[in-house]
Amino acid sequence: MNQRWEIWVGLLGTVMLVWAHYTGLFVSPPEAMMGDVGRILYAHVPTAWVGLLTYLVAFIAAIGALATGRAAWDAMVEATVEVGLLLNVLLLIQGSLWAKPTWGVYWTWDPRLTTCAIMVVAFGVVLALRRQIDAPMRRLTISSVATIIAFVNVPIVYLSVKWWKTLHQPYSSPETVDSAMVTPLRVAAFGMLFLATAFVVRRWRIGLVALQRDFEAPDLPEASAPLKVED
Amino acid sequence: MTGMIQGGWEFVWLVYGITWAGLIGYGLSLARKDARA
Repeated sequence: MNQRWEIWVGLLGTVMLVWAHYTGLFVSPPEAMMGDVGRILYAHVPTAWVGLLTYLVAFIAAIGALATGRAAWDAMVEATVEVGLLLNVLLLIQGSLWAKPTWGVYWTWDPRLTTCAIMVVAFGVVLALRRQIDAPMRRLTISSVATIIAFVNVPIVYLSVKWWKTLHQPYSSPETVDSAMVTPLRVAAFGMLFLATAFVVRRWRIGLVALQRDFEAPDLPEASAPLKVED
Repeated sequence: MTGMIQGGWEFVWLVYGITWAGLIGYGLSLARKDARA
């Protein structure tokens, strides 16, 4: 039962997200400029916040993995990069569907959008590398270094709306949105955070079982010729 | 109401539909992996 606490956290997050999305869709007023399209805020902004936070945990886990060489940190890298990538892909889809009615195009090479797309590719490479490498220590080292390199872009994504002239609006926070929108936005953010936490912990547990098996198995020499049975 | 974008609910529904489909789909894939582990 102790090992299943994340299921309850996930359920709490789901309930909060359902309430916040319902309120955002049917109770909150339309946004002053964007009208009903502005309701995308309650899905898009929490996905962005929690996605970036998940990548931050991946970065910390990668440092932990390199410093200790332990499977637990390596499994955390795998779990956080996978969940971060899920949120990152959802973020790009949500963003393009929001861009069409407000900017007139699904995609433009705006700094925020471009850095977000780079983030998908960079963390996608981390997962692809992990699937290509069988030797556990080598996989830990290479994927941790790749995660740290990929993370360099994350603060750039966050600061891109400040550093460059961009179509994307500046940071959204409870201070920058109308009070009628604050509560559903906050609840949606915490709901997404709890749900993502549940995903990461569950994915970490699943990955850890497999990685511990890999780490405990003796390193076998590469077979240079097919094995033959002596008569 | 001048200047406010009118309509666009189809984009709103698509965003929420895809978001929930992604979250539920990933949750189910984890449950399947967990059952196999």
